[in-house]
This record gives sequence, structure tokens and C-alpha cells, in this order.
Amino acid sequence: MLRVLTVHRRSAGAVVAACAFAACALAGAAAAAPVRTANVEAELVAERTALVPGQTNTVALRLKIRDRWHTYWRNPGDSGLPTTLDWKLPPGVAAGPIQWPAPKALPAGPLVNYGYEGEVFHLVDLAVPADLPAGTTATLAARADWLVCEDTCIPEGADLALALPVAPTAAPDPSWGAKIAATRDALPRPLAGWGATATGEGDKVQLALTPPPGAGDPGTLRFFPFREAAIEPSGRQVLVRDGGRYVLTLPVAHQLQRFDRVAGVITASAGIGGAKAATLDVPLAGSVVAGPRPLDAPAPRLDLSAGAAASTSTLSLAAALALAFAGGLLLNLMPCVFPVLSLKVMSFVEHRDGKATMHREALAYSSGVVLSFVLLALALVALRAAGEQLGWGFQLQSPAVVAALAVLFFLLALNLSGVFEFGMLAPQSVAGWTSKNRTLDAFGSGVLAVIVASPCTAPFMGAALGYAIAQALPVTLAVFVALGLGMALPYVLLAWFPGWRRRLPRPGAWMERVKQFLAFPLYATVAWLAWVLGAQLDNDAVLRLAVALVLVAFAAWAWRAFRSGGAASWAVAAVAGVAGMAVLVAPLFAPPPATAEARAARATDDGWRDFSPALVEELKAAGRPVFVDFTAAWCVTCQVNKRLVLQDADVLGAFARRNVALVRADWTRRDPQITQALAALGRNGVPVYVLHRPGQAPLVLPEVLQAAMIHEALAGL
Amino acid sequence: MTRTLRFAPIAAAVVLAAAAHAATPGQVAPDFAVNDAAGKPVRLSDFRGKHVVLEWTNPECPFVRKHYDSANMQSLQKEFGAKEVVWLAVNSTNRDHGEFKTGPQMAAWMQQHDAVPRAVLIDETSSTGRAYAARTTPHMFVIDPAGRIVYAGAIDDKRSANPADARTAKNYVRAALTETLAGKPVTTASTTPYGCSVKY
Repeated sequence: MLRVLTVHRRSAGAVVAACAFAACALAGAAAAAPVRTANVEAELVAERTALVPGQTNTVALRLKIRDRWHTYWRNPGDSGLPTTLDWKLPPGVAAGPIQWPAPKALPAGPLVNYGYEGEVFHLVDLAVPADLPAGTTATLAARADWLVCEDTCIPEGADLALALPVAPTAAPDPSWGAKIAATRDALPRPLAGWGATATGEGDKVQLALTPPPGAGDPGTLRFFPFREAAIEPSGRQVLVRDGGRYVLTLPVAHQLQRFDRVAGVITASAGIGGAKAATLDVPLAGSVVAGPRPLDAPAPRLDLSAGAAASTSTLSLAAALALAFAGGLLLNLMPCVFPVLSLKVMSFVEHRDGKATMHREALAYSSGVVLSFVLLALALVALRAAGEQLGWGFQLQSPAVVAALAVLFFLLALNLSGVFEFGMLAPQSVAGWTSKNRTLDAFGSGVLAVIVASPCTAPFMGAALGYAIAQALPVTLAVFVALGLGMALPYVLLAWFPGWRRRLPRPGAWMERVKQFLAFPLYATVAWLAWVLGAQLDNDAVLRLAVALVLVAFAAWAWRAFRSGGAASWAVAAVAGVAGMAVLVAPLFAPPPATAEARAARATDDGWRDFSPALVEELKAAGRPVFVDFTAAWCVTCQVNKRLVLQDADVLGAFARRNVALVRADWTRRDPQITQALAALGRNGVPVYVLHRPGQAPLVLPEVLQAAMIHEALAGL
Repeated sequence: MTRTLRFAPIAAAVVLAAAAHAATPGQVAPDFAVNDAAGKPVRLSDFRGKHVVLEWTNPECPFVRKHYDSANMQSLQKEFGAKEVVWLAVNSTNRDHGEFKTGPQMAAWMQQHDAVPRAVLIDETSSTGRAYAARTTPHMFVIDPAGRIVYAGAIDDKRSANPADARTAKNYVRAALTETLAGKPVTTASTTPYGCSVKY
């Protein structure tokens, strides 16, 4: 037939001759002339030489497409239009839908389309009524429209017709019968034998395929979704063999329209379920969020290759929940949380309450903790949805929040030191100290504990929170709830099993001393927050804060004097102190200057260079190993690691011997580039330590760093 | 002792409120600086405070011609230009691609079609097209005065290259602009664009 087609292209006369000779005459009555457009030869062809009444008869739109040009599948992918057929049929004859052969992925620059090249048959089943009179000729007519593209796109179409005799029996069409039958055999059919599930996890869909016993390796898999705006056509599909299963990771579309089933064609280079292609239609478990912009400028970016990404992205929900729970438990021991919890525990000792009260307080405290974590998670998710490049710890990237926390901690500490009591603000309630107040109070301490805990986001939590933030909302919230439950657990246990109280001395003067002592970790926290503020802004900001704190102390002292019977001028002094504090702190709430300026101001003469994706790419291209320290001034773990490990002479010597380039990504202030680089590593918070090794996958080191780990990692270079 | 922590909820609320002050709903439209047909740089941020339409275009594309030959695109440009909407036609065809058009060529083509966009942007490196993930010509974006994308997708619901369809189709861009100009949320904020691929 190919030879005939070549002839077609030369001249119309030859077409007629060739047709008459090769097919039309031999086929008897089946008559249709192919229509030649600029880029396609189109015709309607039938599987058999006649239409048989009472049976399903198959016809096809045959497109012979110009070399290197293509037409489109039912879902055209990033651009294009599917081919359409609009039938005009004899009364009673009904056409089914186009039975689409499996498409090919056709790249167009960075875009990907789904379609066909060469010769393609679009099969359509015709239901022919039993009463269609035999011996007549039926004319099947259709308007076919297609878009044909190479680099350029041309919409084309043709009015096609096929006249077929109606007969009780029919033989296969000598020209097209075999090709149509072969096309039908190759049509994707529901996947047989294999199990399939689809799970939405953030901006990915995990399509898990479980082979039946004895099934061979399917080779390369590719999924073609029936729907648009579900799976990103140009996104990379990653196949991983996971035990006995094959897991194909599909990127969710950037411009997403909600879907609850994953339906489409899966193609397999080595065959799946006995065919090269099969259809799938499975419900989507979990849920998805829109994927990233697929075509972002090809600027240098961090390599997110296997090693680094795999270690975190494979974290299962159960593991993430367990890690978050453990991280929450650990938070209780952090210097910022310990005083708050201790005070709550001491209130048990002081009051010697009955079981019911203690239980109620424990539950209130837990609700406060969990609810605060959920609120923080929702705020983070909402801000990210609004396009902000944020991660966990985002609260502390704002100088205003740091200053507010410093004032809060300072007030708490003054209170513990006995400078004043909050009860003095509302003396009438001291007398009527009800259990309801205490429940509210316990809830409030839970909230407070979470707020003060955020700077201490513990090791173990990096992976869990990185996982959480990339997931659908319910999963994100579940991880944060697990974190809250972990944090609340010790307090709940102490409330439920009060036996420990017997081991303590009776309440007395010692409690006052312990209370006063607990003020000191809080003062220390204030000092640290002042340092963070200095790293975010400048020396002047630290001075502002320090003077503001002096005024706070003055106001507290003056208020105490007023409440203990002093003149009204004491109250005026207290108010003036608070007003002065507000005036001093107010400028910190102004939008901070651009990150770049702040960064330029920072010294870089200690051998560490400031992070940019371009710098990392450049150093890697030069063949050097690169160590990246993702850190922040407000991150306690980061600072500990820096002091103990990264400034260690041995470690620095080892870096120098191996010619490792040292890069520091300082996330103290918001920085979208760093947030993106963290996301590429499956993380959403600091610390993260990455060693880029020439010719190997990047190595992500643990959050709690030890010198030995660095030496070991460097030994592998 | 318990009195110590009584004010915690209030303090907590203050701190949380401070942390959330940066919230803005909707996706933020990426800023860009692209030369217009005369070689003068145009920035999206120049039009902060106004409604902006970004129209991805390519005169070589039959889907673009459908909307220009039917005068559909021009009438939208005129209708909303009169309502202070800034209409920017963006051609992201890469300068290495055979369909690339220079500034003067684009200006002449627009003039010949009686088109009145505020500017035609020659995105010859395709970087703005990539930043918006523009896939097709046409691919339409409507941006509100706060710089948020309120509509992204097809120009209308008749996915064809037939100029006659432009008149009978439901025009998503007109609907989105009408709603957002009236201060209402956009009912259909996202559709699948159709047309030729952007020539990256």
C-alpha cells in the first residue's frame, strides 16, 4: 500500500489508477477516495467488504501523516486538539466513540504532547440494525477535523464518505481488514491480572502496580491521563521498583482541576498484562495539591537527583507520624519549653488537686498544644498557597515576631523573679479563683508552650515536617497533630499517674526558690533572641530591644508600686513605660530590607561562601565537592552543630585537604532561593547538611551532626 | 503559681497575628521585565493597582489567527482597554525558532489587524513564558490590582481553530474581567488552555 501512497502524492490521475488497480476494484463495492490535505492523507475505511445488518461493523478514519508531523490523542497534552469525527449515517445506524490507540509522548521544546505519527487508524464501531435491507448500498459520511503539527500547527479537515454494500455476510477487506484487526488487537484494554492503586501525596500521585505471580518486568512505563489538568504532561514520571511492586510517580498538574480518579493509558516497553498498553481507572486515595510551574526558567538549580531526594521522599505516613510524635516528646526537654512545663507541673504539687481536676487540666493543656500546632500548620499552608516561599520556622524569620517573643519571655521571667504578679492586673479574680479559670489557664499554657517551642524545633522533626508540608492538607495536619500529642504526652502522664508527687517535699519555701530559678533559662532565651534580632537586622535593633526591655521592667515595677497602694502617678509611670517600649519596638514591625543587602553586609572571610544555586552549580561544574550548610540564627540545633562541629579545626582541616568548597545558606531571614533548594531536598526546615560529591548522588547528613559523620562522608570522596 | 501563665492566650494571639501578617490570598503573578515592540522595557510591577491581561500570542498560530481574523481578540482589547485594563500581548517564541517575529514585525501585524493591546512584549528568551508556564497560543492570564492571578487558561470554551466559533463560544476572559472589575470573585478561575504550543 505504501507504494500506492507514493503514487498518490505524484498526481491525481495516478491516484485514481492506483486505487482502481490496487484496492477499489478488488474490494468490489467499497468505494472511497482518500482526501489529500497539505499534511495528511485521510479516508474512511472498513474492516469488511460489506455492512452486515444486526452486527457490529468496524470502520476507521485512517490518517497517513506527513513525516515528522503529528496529530493528537483524546487528551492532546500541553497543546493541540484531539481529532474529531462528526457522522452522517443512514437511519438506524449508530456510531460509537473513537477507539483511541495508545498515544506517544511527543516533545515540543519543554512541552509534551500526546499523539500519533505516521499512519494511524481511529476505529469506530457501527451498530447496524437488523432491518437494514440487504442488497442496497449504504453511504457512511463523516466530517473529520484534526490539528496536524510539526513545529507549526495547521488545522485541517475533510468531508469523507464510504459507500458499502449491505449484505448478510462479508469478507475481510483485502486492503484494510488486517490493519484494522491489528489496530483493534493493540488497543489498550483494562489492565488484566495486575493490581493498581493511586495515592495522592502532595504534588505527586503514586501509581502502584502489583504484578500477578510470574509476570515479567514491564520495562519502561509511561502513564497517559485521559483528563487534562490532572497530571503535568511535561513532568517527569519516575519508576521505582518497591519490593514486588512498581511505583510510578506522576507529577500533579500546575494548573490543577480537582480529580478523584486516576484514569488513562499505561504503556510498557516490555509489555504489561500481555500487551504493550493497557487502560487503568482507579480511585485516587489521599489528595493532591497543584504541582510547581513546569517550565520555570532553566536557571541553575540544585541537583535533586536520586540519593538526596529518595532518602526523604520515601518516608511513609506512619514513619512521619512516629518521627513527629518522638520530636514532640523531645521538645519538652528544650531550654525554651522546659520552664513553661515545669511551672505547670509545679502547680500540681502546690494544689494537691483531686484526680478530676488534674485530668481536666491535662486535657486542656493538650488541646492547647495540639490546636496551636494545627493553627501554625494552617497559617504556613495558607501563606505558601498565597505564593510565599516559607518553611517551618517561618515565624522566626520576621524580626517583629522575634522582638515580640523577647518581650513575652522577659515579662514571664520578671514574673518568676517576683518583680510583679499578673494577678495584680485584675485583683477581683484572685478571690474567685475558679476551676474554670484553671482549665483556661492550662489551655493557655499549652498555646504558650508551642509558641516558645518553635525556635527549638527538634532534630528528628526536619524530615517529618519536610514530608508534612509537601503533602495534602489532611496529611500535613495529621503530622502536626502527632507532634502536638507527643509534646503533650509527659504532662498527661504526670496528671494521670500522680504517684510521683509523694516523692517530693511538701510545698513550701523551696517552691518559691525553684520558681525564681526558672526565670534564668527565660532570661537566657531573651539574650539569645536579642542575638537573633541582631543577625536579622543590626546592632541598633538590639539596642532598641534592650532599652525596650528596660522600660518593660520599669513599667512592671511601677505597676506593682501602684497596686500595692501607691499614688496614681505610679500608674501613669507604668503606662508611660509601656508606651515608650511600644515606640521603640514599632520600627521592627516595618518590612525588612531586601535579603540581598542584608547578605552583602555579612562577612564572608571565614572560608564559607554565601549560598546561591548558581554558585553551587559553578563549583560542581569545576569538579569540586561542595558542602552546603543550611542554617539560621534562630535554629538552636544549627548553632550547636556550627559551634561543635563545623568550626572544629579537625573538620575544617579535613574539608581543606579534600578541597571541599564550603557554602552557607543562611535562612535567618526569608529567602525563596533557599526555601526552593530545601524543597528540592525534600526538606522544609533547617538544619540540613548536604555534601555534593562529583559523580555521585548528593549526601544528606543527619541533623544532629558529629565530626565523625563528616570524616566518614569525606572518606567516600 | 498558676496565675503566672494566665495571660498566655492573649500573648499567643498577638504573636500569631504578627506571624501571619504577610498573608495574601491567590497566586502571586511573577514579575517580569520584557521589551516591548519598540525595545522599551515593560514591567508587570509598572501596572500595580490596575487590572492586567496577559495574552500569549504568535501570529503564525492558526488558533491565534482564529481570534484575530474573527476580530474577537481586538474587540476584547478595546472593550476592556476602555475600562482601564492593561492588555499585554506576549510573544514568547524563542528568537532561535523559525516563527520568531521582531518587535517591528509584531507591531506591524498588530496594526494590520487593528489590534490595540497596551503593548506587545517580545519575550525572545521565552523566560516570561516559562515563568508563567504558558503552554499554548493563546493562553490567557488575568491579574488583579494586587498582582494576584485571578484567571488562567483558555480564551473560551470552543476548542477549535474555526473563526466562526469565537462568536458563539463562552468567553472566559470576558467573564473573568467583568467579575473582577466588579470586585467579585472570579467564578471560573482556571480552565485548560488550547492552541498551538508556545515555541520555546
